[in-house]
Amino acid sequence: MSEYVVDVGQRHIREVNEEIQEACKRGDKIRVVNTLSRHNLGVGLPPGADLYFEGSVGYYCGGLNTGARVEVERNAGWAVGEGMSDGHITIGGYAGMSCGAAMMGGTIHVKGDAGPRCGVAMKAGNIVVEGKIGYQSGFMAHSGRIIALGGAGESCADALWAAEVWVAGDVDSYGVDVQIKEPTAEEVAEVDEILAPLGLVDSSRNWRKMVSGERLWYFESRDASAWLMI
Amino acid sequence: MCGIAGRILNAPGKVGRDLVELMDAQEHRGADSTGFAIYGTPRDTGYVLRGMGFDKAKMDADVADLVNVIRDHGADLLGDPQLLTDSAAHFCFRMEISDPRDLKAWVADADTLTDRIEIQSCGRSLEIIKDVGGAIAVADKHGVRDMEGTHGLGHARLATESSVLPNASHPFWARPFSDVAIVHNGQITDYFTWREKLERRGYRFLTGNDSELIAVWVSDQMKDGLTMEQALKKSITSIDGVFTFMIANTDGIGFAKDRFAMKPLVVIDHGGDLAMATEEQAVRRVFAEESDVINYDGPSLTGIWGVGNLAMAA
Repeated sequence: MSEYVVDVGQRHIREVNEEIQEACKRGDKIRVVNTLSRHNLGVGLPPGADLYFEGSVGYYCGGLNTGARVEVERNAGWAVGEGMSDGHITIGGYAGMSCGAAMMGGTIHVKGDAGPRCGVAMKAGNIVVEGKIGYQSGFMAHSGRIIALGGAGESCADALWAAEVWVAGDVDSYGVDVQIKEPTAEEVAEVDEILAPLGLVDSSRNWRKMVSGERLWYFESRDASAWLMI
Repeated sequence: MCGIAGRILNAPGKVGRDLVELMDAQEHRGADSTGFAIYGTPRDTGYVLRGMGFDKAKMDADVADLVNVIRDHGADLLGDPQLLTDSAAHFCFRMEISDPRDLKAWVADADTLTDRIEIQSCGRSLEIIKDVGGAIAVADKHGVRDMEGTHGLGHARLATESSVLPNASHPFWARPFSDVAIVHNGQITDYFTWREKLERRGYRFLTGNDSELIAVWVSDQMKDGLTMEQALKKSITSIDGVFTFMIANTDGIGFAKDRFAMKPLVVIDHGGDLAMATEEQAVRRVFAEESDVINYDGPSLTGIWGVGNLAMAA
């Protein structure tokens, strides 16, 4: 597989993405340089594509990914991997707000911290954050797992649906309708299976597993007590 | 949506040029109007006024009325007014004036003319330039790239809750306090409640833009003796909505973010040489090389960046 270099600079992103798509069709391994934190880089990547972004990227990088392997050297802006259905995205530094929003499959691995509402409304897949996840992460997440190794910010797992938020480290505060469960050995083994390929298994971790208390799933408007937790 | 930006230079220089870059990079966040607040060489006495009149056909009479109010308060023009008349209906002006006897009283009197002619900034160093259109168009029209100074703010507006009018553009001056300007990205959801309260206290609103509320609210806090830091912190619990706003004065730039962390702010700080913007790709127009970027993504955040060197380079 040959390496193909795409230079972004101040070019139109549509033109850059078309060049990336053409290189994907040829089966090239792609190195994207001079990224300048531009938005919408590598959106809609096909299965099997392999991209490395030098430096930092802006909003929606790797969005709607259908199976590509993407690595960002430094930071990503808002909504990295939004709506992705498969593939693997690695962020070397910080991931901005709404990392993995509404994703439907695949894995996002953030080596630094993630901003607010990490995994908001996600439907499936896994988000692994080596640092801390921001305010209201997991908000209304339907399914899948958010795994934070460095703690969580305020209002963690607020209004969660059927997803799970796993946190090792401190949680600044819990969101509305969160239940903290003691994970079983089998469940920890499942999480370790996700962490193993990333080299992040550590048996000494003290996990907090958050799931929905289900009091908001079929909200009874005459019983507003659930909201009083806010 | 809207986009905001700030720039602080290590040494006085072409802050206008950098703010135009920051706003051009964010034009997709709103091209209805663009504005700049630029802090130039501070003067010991006298003020620079920037503003606009709404009927070009009556420009001479309206400018004369404004000058009469200036003279009524013991001040005078320090040169001929600079007038910009290439818009279809409105005109823009810049005036340098000597000190009125009482700034607040003079502003109150000048504000009785605001249905015809409106002062949009008054400062020892502040000049607010704003107009309809994108960053490049507004910058070309008003010569913003050539404006030098220590720091400044920028704003790209996507009008949502009020009309696209030249005077409804940001930044807003926190009248009648000289040299205080704000830019805002977000929606103030208790705008009408606050507006009613502040109007009962005697404040005048010149537009229907919810962001103007922040400027008026800040004025009210300053009148009560709050510092910028105190006002920023108080805004988070006093004002409802989703917002990130920045306030500038002659000493620096401060920001506040709402309790819901909905509006981003990204900063690159190279030892006091600072660029702030809604989007990282904008600050990278100023600092193209890879830098440590600070994301102020959390809820209820405030901060202030000071200007290091106020002395204008020779």
